[in-house]
Amino acid sequence: MKQIPPSPLSRHRQLALIILFFLASLPHIHHLAGLISGFVLVMVVYRLFAISWPRLLPGKLLLILLTLTALANVILQYPLLIGRTAGVALLCSMGALKLLEMKSQRDVYVLSFIGYFTLGSHFLFQDQAWLVLYVILVVTGFTAVLAANSRANPINGLLPSIKTALVLLIQAAPIMLVLFILFPRFTSPLWNLGPESDQAVTGISGSITPGNLSQLSRSSAVAFRAEFDDEIPPPEQRYWRGPVFTNTDGVSWLPVESENNLRVAPASGARTLDYSVTMEPSPGRWLYALEFPSHIPGNARLQADFQLIRSTPISRRIRYRASSVVDYRINTSDPDQLQLALALPSTITPRMRDLVKDWKGRAQSSAELVLTALDYFRQQPFYYTLYPPELGENAADAFLFETRQGFCEHYATSFTLLMRIAGIPARVVAGYQGGEVNPMGNYLIVRQSDAHAWSEIWLEGEGWMRIDPTAAVAPERVENPLDLNQISQLVGSPVLYQHSDNSFIGRTIKKLGLSLDALHTAWYRWILGYSRERQSHLLSMLGLGFLQGTKLALGMVVCGGMVVLVMVLLAARESSRPKNPVVASYHRFCKRLKLVGLDRQPHEGPNNFAQRVINQRPDLSSKVTAITQLYVGIRYGQLDSRERRRHLKRLVKAFHPAKKGT
Amino acid sequence: MNLSGLKRFLRRATPDQDGRTRILARRIYILPTGYGLVFGALVLLMLIGSINYAINLGFLLCFLLAGLGLVTMIHTWRNLLGLEIQLGRAVPVFAGDQACFELQAINPHSRERPGLAFGFQKECCAVLDLPPRETLQVRLCSPTRVRGWFALPRITLITRYPLGLFKAWVYLELSASCLVYPTPGKKNPPADAPDYTSSQKGDRGVGVDDFVGLRHYRPGDSPKHVNWKAVAREQALQTKMFGGDRSEQRWLDWHRLQGSTEHRLSQLCRGVLDACEEQEEFGLRLPDFELCPDRGQRHRHACLEALALFGTES
Repeated sequence: MKQIPPSPLSRHRQLALIILFFLASLPHIHHLAGLISGFVLVMVVYRLFAISWPRLLPGKLLLILLTLTALANVILQYPLLIGRTAGVALLCSMGALKLLEMKSQRDVYVLSFIGYFTLGSHFLFQDQAWLVLYVILVVTGFTAVLAANSRANPINGLLPSIKTALVLLIQAAPIMLVLFILFPRFTSPLWNLGPESDQAVTGISGSITPGNLSQLSRSSAVAFRAEFDDEIPPPEQRYWRGPVFTNTDGVSWLPVESENNLRVAPASGARTLDYSVTMEPSPGRWLYALEFPSHIPGNARLQADFQLIRSTPISRRIRYRASSVVDYRINTSDPDQLQLALALPSTITPRMRDLVKDWKGRAQSSAELVLTALDYFRQQPFYYTLYPPELGENAADAFLFETRQGFCEHYATSFTLLMRIAGIPARVVAGYQGGEVNPMGNYLIVRQSDAHAWSEIWLEGEGWMRIDPTAAVAPERVENPLDLNQISQLVGSPVLYQHSDNSFIGRTIKKLGLSLDALHTAWYRWILGYSRERQSHLLSMLGLGFLQGTKLALGMVVCGGMVVLVMVLLAARESSRPKNPVVASYHRFCKRLKLVGLDRQPHEGPNNFAQRVINQRPDLSSKVTAITQLYVGIRYGQLDSRERRRHLKRLVKAFHPAKKGT
Repeated sequence: MNLSGLKRFLRRATPDQDGRTRILARRIYILPTGYGLVFGALVLLMLIGSINYAINLGFLLCFLLAGLGLVTMIHTWRNLLGLEIQLGRAVPVFAGDQACFELQAINPHSRERPGLAFGFQKECCAVLDLPPRETLQVRLCSPTRVRGWFALPRITLITRYPLGLFKAWVYLELSASCLVYPTPGKKNPPADAPDYTSSQKGDRGVGVDDFVGLRHYRPGDSPKHVNWKAVAREQALQTKMFGGDRSEQRWLDWHRLQGSTEHRLSQLCRGVLDACEEQEEFGLRLPDFELCPDRGQRHRHACLEALALFGTES
């Protein structure tokens, strides 16, 4: 036993908090400015030394100076303090300072909360599965520290606290799941934050640089809505074509400005789709239409490279009608276009050439070379991510051979360059892919997050055809987002309009390892890409389709409440004392005596009580004696048997003392 | 019960027929602590951030923390649920000293109950971690000011385990009192010297000075008085008897003292203590009350009790 208030933090707890804070900020270290990361690291090391030599800890004056230094440091690195990176820099710096000031129990809470928040901030920048595991691990650590902190006496070893924390987190998991599934997803942000949404108008702009599309795709702003006269085409046909980028300096890609309109109308449309598009304001002048537009809206023209360009900027919401043919084939061979689509920038490196040379050696035809290239993306450890790492001067080379983490524009641009090296005319197309079917209104919502880039290549005899190298790496980005069974069949299929070598692709699929693919897909589908559309689909699958909007929020509260209630009931049941029937019988006996004014005092033993009762009520003597003797015999003596218990119960049941005088 | 106003609505845990207080679900209060509120704000902030940037992983962590908060609430509540308290004895004290009550905290379950804090009102307290299926002693002390019966104040049992985000507490209304003797006065006041009167029993009284004979040993006799020489001769145990060590008896008399009631009681209390220290035989005389001269712990307690309760029971 001891007095609670302020006990200083033990060394173990200090050490645990320093390590946990370091782990919590570790994934930020590499992407924050060097001076910020350096400051955090220096503070952590300094504090570690101060565990053994507490005299090293700064006084008030030094602490204020350090705080000002940290603030100045953040402001110098991120002048306007706007955006999430600046926020994270501030958070990490202040957390590191808090380490120096850590003295009382209160600081344990402050640091743990800063830790939780820092852990959450990682998801602003990264979305890999391992990061989630890492975050949960560190959350467990902080929770264990809090658990150890609320005990009266320190406990030996780490394990008991970690076990407590794990139990708590495992029990929290069902609540998390219910909330995650049922929490209503918003269609637009609450408000715009950060510089990346400072532009008044978001959308695909007039040039493409690896990295800018992935930034755009983090915005959930609506690009346009499309209403179809007939049924909505399946996702793998929803390629909304926008600007076409043919010119490149190796870093950024620009469209060709030409006055030449398309002279050849697309041939062989198997099916025509008619639709109208309501488009939000957009930075460019491109209109978006499904491949391939057969009827174009007035006041727009179709360029020779099939860009649909409006004559005036799209500064307000506009609406246009268009028709497209699917399963088309365009056999144009404009020599100017082909010439442009073969131009190579100066950034081509020898190893890129070697790679293509190697493919050429193996492939018999151009079509086979394309497949070999796609296989390369599929088999090498390429990774599809919304948060690609920064690339150096030569983006394509760095991406192909070093980082190998990229968003669709990385795949499209590098694939296009490789095709050009191989002598196949190729260009990059930007636009949107997919879109969300609004179940309420049977129309398609296409958001900035659906922004996509792919390649077009020209093959002799085939004409221009779409190749989507992203599909080789992350098929789920393209395929039907709602039907799990289709993934395996669709791997690779949206890449080409037709492919001759079925068995080749079949073998490749086997090599991929379907289980790993399914896991990756499931992660993307159910966690990263769990959107409003998937939510409503899942709910309708569960027969809860009526849960929409406010009802959904209510349903979430009810379901969450039910989970909590079940936990409460389980806890209560576990805490109930196993009722001893003998004691219960005796208590009933006492209760009946109380009714006639004979109240058993807390200090009175059964024998004493019986004596007093008999003194006051000689008429009850025989019954009271019998019951008391039985009870005492069973409870405290060696006279316990089933018959005796039953006998006691019978006697008590029959015991109805009359009130005195009646 | 004449509880008034708010007090009537207070949920209190009271002892059952065995004198044991079992903490039931409905007796427990629970509220978030300041830290809990901050934690809630943090989760809310994370939620807003996640909505704004449409980060599903942010949602995931946010909901995990929200679940953690809710689960913690249940655990805090459960940490008190089913706990049993048994009241022990309280040793009498002098006014101005701490009245201490012994409690037993009984954990009838196979789970640990860490971080239990017992205290009166806001004063803290005794804290302990109660291991599974164990009983621990708790000693709660409260300062006394006036003589008489000191009723055990309402005890607040608080826990913040496991994370300190919620605080669950229960009011224990245990009926127990501690006897508070008057504060002893100053030592040996010359003016208020106690008087001695001659003993009627004379030399035959029981004392320690003069040997008067032998009798058979009775259990409880002091080993100092056993006739060990006889034992050495393998005779039966015998006890030596002593007589009238002093012919006077001391009377502590209310009427021979001056001053206020409390002052007189203090002086008498001091007299009792001194007499006991000197192992004298003494009697106590109060208005309407008299204790015959005697000695020993029981007599001492009887005298002090009479002083403590003087004028309170009428």
